[in-house]
Amino acid sequence: MSARRDDQADCDLAILGAGPAGAAAAVEATALGLRTVVVDEAAAAGGQVHAIAPGVTPLPRDVDRAGDAMRAALARSGADCRTGRRVWHLERHGDIWRVHALAEPSEPGKGGVAETVTARALLIATGAVERHLPFPGWARPGVIGLAAATRLLKAQRLLPGREVLVAGAGPLLFLVAKTIVEAGGRVVAVIDARRRRDWFAALPAMATRPDLVARGLNWRRELLACRVPILHGHRLAAVAGDAPALHAEVVAIDRDGAAPSGGASVAFRCDAVCVGYGLLPATDATRLAGATHRFDESCGAWRVDVDDDQRTDRPRLYAAGDGAGIAGAAAAPWAGRVAACAAARDLGALDARAHGLRAAGAKRSRDRAARFGAAMARLANVGDGAHAGIAATTLVCQCERIDRAAIDAAVDAGCTTLNELRSATRCGMGPCGGRLCEDAIARLAALRTGRTQAGVGQPTGRPPLRPVDLDALAGEFDYASLPIGTPAPL
Amino acid sequence: MTRRYDIAVIGCGIMGATAALRAAQNGMRVVVIERDAAGSGASGVNAGTLSLQIKRVSLMPYALRGHAWWRAAGDAVGFRETGSCTLAFDAREQALLEERMALKREAGAPIEFLTPRELHAREPAITDRVVAASWCAVDGHADSSRTGVYLRALLREAGVETREHAGATGIASIDGGDGGFRIDLPGGELRARRVLLACGAWTADVAARLGVTLPIRVRVNTVSVTEPGPRRLSAGVGHATGLLTLKQKSSGAWLIGGGWQGRGSPQEGRGEVVAETLLGNWRLARFAVPSLAHVRVIRCWTGFEAWVDDHLPLAGPLPGVPDAWVLACVRGGYTIGPCIGPLVADAMLGRAGDLPLFDPARVLASSAPATAHA
Amino acid sequence: MSAGDLRIGGDAGRGARVRLTVDGHRFHAYAGESLSTALWAAGVRELAGGIDGPPSRPVFCAMGICQQCAVWIDGRRVEACRTQVYDGLVATSVPPEP
Repeated sequence: MSARRDDQADCDLAILGAGPAGAAAAVEATALGLRTVVVDEAAAAGGQVHAIAPGVTPLPRDVDRAGDAMRAALARSGADCRTGRRVWHLERHGDIWRVHALAEPSEPGKGGVAETVTARALLIATGAVERHLPFPGWARPGVIGLAAATRLLKAQRLLPGREVLVAGAGPLLFLVAKTIVEAGGRVVAVIDARRRRDWFAALPAMATRPDLVARGLNWRRELLACRVPILHGHRLAAVAGDAPALHAEVVAIDRDGAAPSGGASVAFRCDAVCVGYGLLPATDATRLAGATHRFDESCGAWRVDVDDDQRTDRPRLYAAGDGAGIAGAAAAPWAGRVAACAAARDLGALDARAHGLRAAGAKRSRDRAARFGAAMARLANVGDGAHAGIAATTLVCQCERIDRAAIDAAVDAGCTTLNELRSATRCGMGPCGGRLCEDAIARLAALRTGRTQAGVGQPTGRPPLRPVDLDALAGEFDYASLPIGTPAPL
Repeated sequence: MTRRYDIAVIGCGIMGATAALRAAQNGMRVVVIERDAAGSGASGVNAGTLSLQIKRVSLMPYALRGHAWWRAAGDAVGFRETGSCTLAFDAREQALLEERMALKREAGAPIEFLTPRELHAREPAITDRVVAASWCAVDGHADSSRTGVYLRALLREAGVETREHAGATGIASIDGGDGGFRIDLPGGELRARRVLLACGAWTADVAARLGVTLPIRVRVNTVSVTEPGPRRLSAGVGHATGLLTLKQKSSGAWLIGGGWQGRGSPQEGRGEVVAETLLGNWRLARFAVPSLAHVRVIRCWTGFEAWVDDHLPLAGPLPGVPDAWVLACVRGGYTIGPCIGPLVADAMLGRAGDLPLFDPARVLASSAPATAHA
Repeated sequence: MSAGDLRIGGDAGRGARVRLTVDGHRFHAYAGESLSTALWAAGVRELAGGIDGPPSRPVFCAMGICQQCAVWIDGRRVEACRTQVYDGLVATSVPPEP
C-alpha cells in the first residue's frame, strides 16, 4: 500500500523529535509506506530519555540497550533522520507544512545552514521541559536542573558534584541520586516534596507497570543501603554560599507544598544542587503550529489537545509523547505508532479497517503505560502552596531579572493574563522565552488574580522556537536581490 | 439596571484611549470596551518607532503633536529621543529620499541631509554602502509593549471605566426615545448616547453591525527582536522606501521592523510570521548595519495595521449612523494617535479642533472626497 | 577548585584529549564531550552573563533551553551544552570586540 503522493512536498510525514515517540512513529510510518523525515536538534536520536554523546562511550553498567535498539530500528526504517537540526519555525501553506530548521555547521567555526522540509503531515513529538519552582538561590552557580543532572550523568558521564543535594519531586529524584551514588559521588540527601503517603496513594495507578514500580523501589533501596537520607514532605527553601561551598536550607511542607510558618528547617552543605519538580509538556511547537491546548488540572500543566488517534485540531497535525500530556517514556512509542497510523490513514495509505486493526493494539499499550506516567506527573505537581510562599524578592524570571514583587505589582495594576504580564514586566521574554519560568509566573498570576491557572492563559506561540543566529538564516545575498516592495505612500 | 454613558469607545488602543481621556476631560461619562487587553493590538505590538521621517506629509502636523505626547510620557513608556537616519543605497533610492524628505521638512519635520561621511561620524556601525542619508534629531522610540499598562493607568486616574476582555456581542442603534446605542457585553448590556469605533483592524467588523460597510484592508506587519548584543548603534535606522525600522534598545537588544508582511486576518486570531518575508526583513537590516550579523533572534511576531485605499485616516462620523463615530486606519497611528484621538473626541461634542479630521464618508461609494487639509 | 575529577570512569571511552581556552583560561577536555561538560569538569561554575546580564552558569538545563550557557565562539553565540569541544576551541562569555 502506498500513499498518494503530493509532488509539492518533500515528504509525506515530517516528525519533530527523535525521542521514543518520534522514533517509533518514524518506524511505523515508513513501514506503512510514508516518506518520512525526522528532525531533531541533538547530534543523535534518543530524545532526553535516551540521550547519548556520540563521542563518549558509556560504562558497561550504563549501556542503554533500549536506546540503542531504538536508534538501530530508526536507522533500519528507511526514514530520513536529520539530527543536528534546530527547528525554529512551522508554517502551513495550503495543504503543506513547512518545517524551517537551522542545520548545525558543517565544521567548527562555521555558521549553521538554513534548511526547510515540506511535508503533507506533521507530527510534533518534542517531549517535555522541566518544571522549576523559584527559590532564593536558584540562579546560583552550582545549582542545576534534575533533568540536566541525568543528561550529565548518563550522556556525558559526569558527576554534578562530589557531595550533591538532590531535591524536588517526581521519579527523577531517585534516578539521579542512585546514579550519583553508583558513580562514586555522595548524595547528602534526597529532598522529596511528596510525603510517603502521597506515593502510596499513587500506587493503584502505578500498578499498571509493576516493572517500573519495582525499578523505582530498587533505586530507593540502594540509596537507603548507602545511608542516603531521604526526606519526604520537604522542599528546598534556599541555597546560599559560593560553589563549591553551598549551604542548602530545607523545610517541611504540607500536602499543598506550603511550609508552615515557624516550621523546622534542616541545613545541608554540598558542592552541587540538582533540583526539579517534574516535567511539563513542551507546548511551544504545538502552539506555534496553531493547535488548541487544554489545561490539565491534575498535572497542573497545559498540553496540546489530541484525540484518541493523536490528532490535534489542525489539519494533518499530530502530537505524541510527553508533549501531548506527560505519559512517560513507556507510553511514548505507542503514542508515536498511533500517530503514524492516523497520518497514514489521513494521507490515504491505510483504509479505515486496516487502520482500526493496526492502531488498536498500540492504543491499548499506550493507555496502559500512560496511566503510570500520568500518576508520576500528578505526583510531581507540587501544590500552589509552594508558590504562594515565594518571597517578594525571589527572582522568578532569571533572564530578565524579574522578581515576584514585580509580577504581583503588574497584576495589581490590571494585568490578568500571561500575555499581558509578559508585555508589562518582560518576564519570560528573555532568551529562554519563558520556558524556565512560565509555569511559576502563571501560578503566581493565578494566585494574585484569583483566577485559575487555565484562566490566565498561555503565551502566544511565536517563532523562533529557540534563539537563531540571524546571519546563519539570512545567509549570503546581493542587495539587488532583496524583495524590497513598493515604497510607503508619501 | 442598565448602565448609561455619554460615550462608549470600542477599542482600548492608543486611539480609543486618548479619545476617551479627552472626552472625560470634557466632562463626559465614558466607558472603554476592549475585546482583549488594553494596548494588546497594534498599539502594543508595533516596533515602537516614533519617527517623523516615516510619516506622511499630509499627516505631519498630527505626528508632531503626537510625538510631543510620547515625549511627555517619558520613562513610563520607555521613550528615548535617539534621533534617526534614513538611508539610500542607490541612485533611485537617493532620488526618492531627497524628494520625500524635502517635502516632510517643508511640512514641519526638523529633517536635515547628511553626507555619508557625516553619517559615519555619527553612526560608525552603518554600512559604507550608503549613498545618501537624512537625519531627524527628534526621532526616537518607545517600548510599545508598555502602552497597555500606561493607558490603563491614565484611564484609571481620569476615572474612565474600562471593560477589558469584554468583546461586544452586539451593538445597535436604539430607535426612538433619546436614541443612542445598546451594547451587549458578556456581563450584560450598557447604553451610550454616542459611540466611537476605534478598534483598528476590527473596526470594519463593528461598523458592519451598525449596517455600514467600510472598505478597510489589513496589513500584517512583522517585528523581530534579538537578544542583547554589544552596543553598536545609538540612532534609529530607516530606509528610503520606508520598509525598514531598526533600532538597538538600551538593553542592547535589536528591534527589526518595517512592515514586512506576515499572514492571517484579525478574524482568524493572531497573524502568523512568514519565514520568507522575515528573512528579507533581516537581510535589509543586516545590510544596513553589518554588525547585526551574529546576533541571535529570540522572538518574531505580527500586528495588524488597518488601512484604506488613499492611506488617510478614517476620523469622523460613521456615515448614515447618527452619533456613531469612527477613528481608524491612521498610517503611523502609534505616533499620531495621541493627537488625533482627542481631536475626534472634541468633534464628537461639536467642538471644532485646530486640525481637520478625515471624513470617513469619502471611502464609501458615491461619497465626497476626503476633507484632509491641503 | 576542589572538584577533583568529576568524570565518571575517567578518560576511558572518551575521545582524544583536546585543548580549549575559555575567557582566557586554558582547559583540557575530551573530543565528544560538550563544552558545558568540559567547563563543569574543570570546576567552572559561573560565566559572565553576556551583555549586562547577571552571572550565569555553564550548566543549568544542559539541553539547549535555558540559554544560560551561551558563549561566543568565532563571533557567534552558541550554547555550550550543544557545542562539542574540539582542539583549539576558544570561547568567551562576554562578546568579542569587533
